[in-house]
Amino acid sequence: MSELIRTPPGAVGALLLALIIVAVLFGPLLAPYDPQTFYTTVRLQGPSADHWLGTDQFGRDLLSRLLHGSRATIAFGLGATGLGVCAGSLIGVSAGVAGGWVDSIIMRTLDGLLAVPDLLFTLLIVTMLGGGTGHAMLAVAVAFTPGMARIARSSVLSIREREYVLAAVARGESQGYIILREVIPNAIGPIVVEATIRVSFAIMIGATLGFLGLGAQPPSTEWGLMVAEARQFMFRSPWGVAVPGLAIAVAALGFNLFGDALRDSFDPRRRR
Amino acid sequence: MINLAPTRRAVILGLAIAFVIPGLSFAQSPKHGGTLKISHSTRIATLNVLQLSGPAEYPSVDMLYSGLTRIGPDNSPTPDLAMDWVGAEDGTVFTFNLRSGVTFHDGTPFTADDVVATFEAILKPETSSPARSVVDMIESVEAVDPLTVRFNLSISYADFPTAVAHANARIVSAKALAGPLSDLDTKPNGTGPFKLETYDSARVVRFVKNENYFIEGKPYLDAVEMHLFPDLAAETVNYLSGAVDVMLNVQQADYERIASAPGSNALRVPSGRFVNVVMRQDQPPFDDVRVRKALAMSVDRQTLVDIVLEGLGRPANDNILSSEYRYTIDSPEIPYDPAAAKALLAEAGHPDGIKIKLVASNRPAIRAQVAIAIKQMALPAGFDIEVETMPHDTYLANVWRKGNFYMAYWGMQPTEDGAFTLLLTSDAAFEDTAWNSAEFDALVAKGRSSLDEAERARLYAEAQELILRDAPYIIPFFQDVLTASRDNVQGWTVHPLSRVFYIENVWLN
Repeated sequence: MSELIRTPPGAVGALLLALIIVAVLFGPLLAPYDPQTFYTTVRLQGPSADHWLGTDQFGRDLLSRLLHGSRATIAFGLGATGLGVCAGSLIGVSAGVAGGWVDSIIMRTLDGLLAVPDLLFTLLIVTMLGGGTGHAMLAVAVAFTPGMARIARSSVLSIREREYVLAAVARGESQGYIILREVIPNAIGPIVVEATIRVSFAIMIGATLGFLGLGAQPPSTEWGLMVAEARQFMFRSPWGVAVPGLAIAVAALGFNLFGDALRDSFDPRRRR
Repeated sequence: MINLAPTRRAVILGLAIAFVIPGLSFAQSPKHGGTLKISHSTRIATLNVLQLSGPAEYPSVDMLYSGLTRIGPDNSPTPDLAMDWVGAEDGTVFTFNLRSGVTFHDGTPFTADDVVATFEAILKPETSSPARSVVDMIESVEAVDPLTVRFNLSISYADFPTAVAHANARIVSAKALAGPLSDLDTKPNGTGPFKLETYDSARVVRFVKNENYFIEGKPYLDAVEMHLFPDLAAETVNYLSGAVDVMLNVQQADYERIASAPGSNALRVPSGRFVNVVMRQDQPPFDDVRVRKALAMSVDRQTLVDIVLEGLGRPANDNILSSEYRYTIDSPEIPYDPAAAKALLAEAGHPDGIKIKLVASNRPAIRAQVAIAIKQMALPAGFDIEVETMPHDTYLANVWRKGNFYMAYWGMQPTEDGAFTLLLTSDAAFEDTAWNSAEFDALVAKGRSSLDEAERARLYAEAQELILRDAPYIIPFFQDVLTASRDNVQGWTVHPLSRVFYIENVWLN
């Protein structure tokens, strides 16, 4: 950990992540107001002593909505990435261990899917399944699967020929034991790094879907949806757009910087 | 807080301001010439006057075509291609005397045969004209002589001269109707003040002056261009910078900014259009009138006007008729009283409240805004409402006229009968309440065929009393129609119906 925060980007990333974690864990306790209550006398206001980040078009307190919304937003990012990582790793490790024509078929299929950009892929799936948080999360997970599978497979390929794996084979261990106990624990580093960075993309895609009306539903406090609802009033009060927009940027940046630092700390060439 | 509850006088005054002031400015010698640029945000997908229904398509055909009659500022029919008309035989026969010397844009003279051909086309189901259900009491239409046309109706129908003013019932030449109907999509040939010059539905549609228009000296403008801006922010910026002269529709959220911008005149016209909550009565929980009334009491109408309409409208009390209609009764105010609503809910057998899903389509945004606000307002009364928004097409396919609890949005109709038979009678064109009140149906049927003003007023008052008693819809407010024009534009108006625009009266200073 100390190594992670030694570089400025790593330190910033860790700090931002810490902020986000506090918001997610204690947000509803810290929120000064109920996120759904209308304070109709103070609509579309900028920051003030009563409302630190201002209010939206219904007079709802933006800080409270932001704090409550952190859960939906971050949970979406972690959930979608988690699902995608599990599915992708499973496919990638299987392909890597199996090798031969099985490997070829799986990987060429995934290469085909990789050609479609993540957001486009997600939109296709959500359009087919219909909107809503669950479907959106599933869609992002599916979109992430090919990339994760590729990373998992490449780690497995380098590990497959290592002495400790050959030793396990020589001991007569089962295929399942080798995958679970020898291959995966040693391949997990790159997967974790990739997953951390991908959380930031998942958060942004989730916010995009919320913005387009395909993800979270009003009156949810999901950040992308907050931006979408405030857009109409952007010229009268920019705070409704700026506050959740900044929050999305902070969360994405936090995960991204932290992921980068994590990768550097795993990279032996960068270690001093 | 200023109470915007409408009085008839205030509304008439509003209309007078909207229509008379431009009228006054005419008196000071209008200038001829110039090109008027109008911005709009929805595509002009077709110019087929018999079929279209788009917000920017209505002003287009109002320029290209004329009807027998045209809706005037006070919602009554005024002469257009017909100079005058008489009803006979208890309102089952109407005879229209037509203007002489009128020609279509292609030079063909206009005669009674064109009127006959147009109405016969509208009445054919395969034309799928929105005007059909409005004039389907026509039994036959005949040309008495080249300048006289007679309609025989299956019932007495006092509002017939208004019905033929329908935006989709404008007169097309018999020659054009002999060809394929789809030709009307792109090759309009009307008798209106402007002719089509270029039709590019993705960018701009340009109209030029009809030199042979039947009103001497009009139109004043040489040309009118309808510019499409799919992005609302881009439309506003272009209007504010003066790149376009008129913004057809202004969003509530932008109204104040546009009204206060230098060189810009924003215009707000009270209208009978509304957002309504549909509660189907053939299934629980809304089969019990007490549940509907409880929800009605859980809606803070003035606050909705303030926060959703930005004050640009008036609270309504579940009457489908606004004060712009002729026979509107005063509806008692329904106060926001969640405690009383909760008690009424308990009385109806829901002491623990009701959990229910309310669907709102995403277009226009106002539907979801009202839904979210109602969810919050009705919470203390025991209504646990989950709002679900969805794309408009999905809503139309899966929820509209099928669901039991959703947000609808309707424009104002020209007549009481039009509003009742659009939504509330058992055989209404877009019936979605399952109210099926035989009592109401009978009153509406009697009212439409009555030629006696006082009797109609009484029948329509009784019909409205039934609406208020049974609360088929929650109608929280009437929304104003908003438009804006630059300082140099004189005579630009909108009508509460958003169907007639009188662009031949507009001139540039």
